[in-house]
Amino acid sequence: MPEDNRRAMVQIKEVSKFFGTLRALDKVSLDVYDGEKVVIIGPSGSGKSTLLRSINRLETVEAGSIVVDGYDIYAKDTNINKVREEVGMVFQSFNVFPHKTVLENITLAQQVVRRRGKEEARTIAIELLKKVGILEKADVYPSKLSGGQQQRVAIARALAMQPKLMLFDEPTSALDPEMIGEVLDVMVKLAREGMTMIVVTHEMGFAREVADRVIFMDEGRIIEEGTPEHFFKNPTHERAKQFLSQIL
Amino acid sequence: MAQIKKKSANTHQKVTIDIGDGVAIPTKSDVGLFTAWRIAFFGAIAMFVYLAVFKTDPYWEIIKFVPDGILVTFEVTVASILCALVIGLFTGLGRLSSNKLVNGIASLYVEVIRGIPLLVQLFYIYYALAKFVHVPDIWSAVIAMAVCYGAYMGEVFRAGIQSIPKGQMEAARSLGMSSGQAMFHVILPQAVKTILPPVGNEFVALLKDSSLVSILAVADLLRRGREFASETFTYFETYTVIALVYLMITLFFSKLISLMEERINAGR
Repeated sequence: MPEDNRRAMVQIKEVSKFFGTLRALDKVSLDVYDGEKVVIIGPSGSGKSTLLRSINRLETVEAGSIVVDGYDIYAKDTNINKVREEVGMVFQSFNVFPHKTVLENITLAQQVVRRRGKEEARTIAIELLKKVGILEKADVYPSKLSGGQQQRVAIARALAMQPKLMLFDEPTSALDPEMIGEVLDVMVKLAREGMTMIVVTHEMGFAREVADRVIFMDEGRIIEEGTPEHFFKNPTHERAKQFLSQIL
Repeated sequence: MAQIKKKSANTHQKVTIDIGDGVAIPTKSDVGLFTAWRIAFFGAIAMFVYLAVFKTDPYWEIIKFVPDGILVTFEVTVASILCALVIGLFTGLGRLSSNKLVNGIASLYVEVIRGIPLLVQLFYIYYALAKFVHVPDIWSAVIAMAVCYGAYMGEVFRAGIQSIPKGQMEAARSLGMSSGQAMFHVILPQAVKTILPPVGNEFVALLKDSSLVSILAVADLLRRGREFASETFTYFETYTVIALVYLMITLFFSKLISLMEERINAGR
């Protein structure tokens, strides 16, 4: 692949982070290009979520640098709020706003952060609700929704900011099995539209279908990296082979 | 003073805050207290009416004399609680701030104020500070009570804000909101549910404590009673009426708070 011509959306260089004496991230470097879909997998505690959360500075790192969309997010003159406007995030626990209706969940940040008018925000929200397939729930409060529906609201809420990059932190791990499909469908659709995505997941089917690149992490390091074919058919690293044999 | 009971049920934690300086809140589940509330409230009303109608001398005279004081009591209470809410909000936010200086100042304020009796604070602002500035009577009363209750209110706000799951703040921030925007649009509207009942309770506590301002030259309910009693020497009768009036007011508000709590728990 002609990597030099492509613009890097995320450049992570030699990033380290400690939780006490535990090394959560150990000199991790990773570039993600415009339009690329990167899936990060690995055993729990391997640092995948920490790495993802450090990209929009929900976690701070102790060493190394992270550049997102051209902004060094640890530089003193970088307004992190501006960077976050361009980076959508979807959480394992949905984190929809329970005191707002579905529609208000999606219009709030548009109005407060993007300064869009009420009607414009509403129009965009309704488009997105159609896209994620829950338009009929627009005026309902989240507590009346299933987990899968809540997660789709959360995705629509992030997309309403028209981000350049979407981060997914185990978006289906808290869902009942029968609801995983509806969320993955939305993510596949989004991938087809060309969104740049970094996804931490245990859904190997999704990784195989959507990923341009699969990253395998263990003990705070990236130990295997490659196309899904390479990764799932002949992983080179012993730890990756072991992990795959356990889950497949 | 503020004891916090945490019950964690799956991911959504429910937090109730009991503050023991207001009144006992009569809930339907606590049958004994519910009955006690009824007996006390309707008993007080019945007694009040009986005295006013059948023992007109001197009770009717007393009852005509004190309403001005009730008005002053309410003025002082409402003004103080509003100021205390503002102080409490900032104190609560300060106590949660990661800025060490802000956090230190807020914590120091809470510790110092909670360690000094309200009556001493009243004296301090009214008499001690008179050496430097003269604060009008009613304002000394309001300032002292607002500063005092602001410290307690700060803890109520802090607990209320902390009861909101961390993910809510993270979701708001990851959408590009500043911490202030996230607090205002996402965290505080949710925290209100937890905060409202203890704030109501503080209101009742403050209403009762407002009787302390009768020490200053503020003509509140208790002060009016004292004035009347000292002129007519009807101490027993006057203070009986004063106690009944306070009792009816606080029991009324305690019921109001319990209704409010029920509605909040029923909704959503």
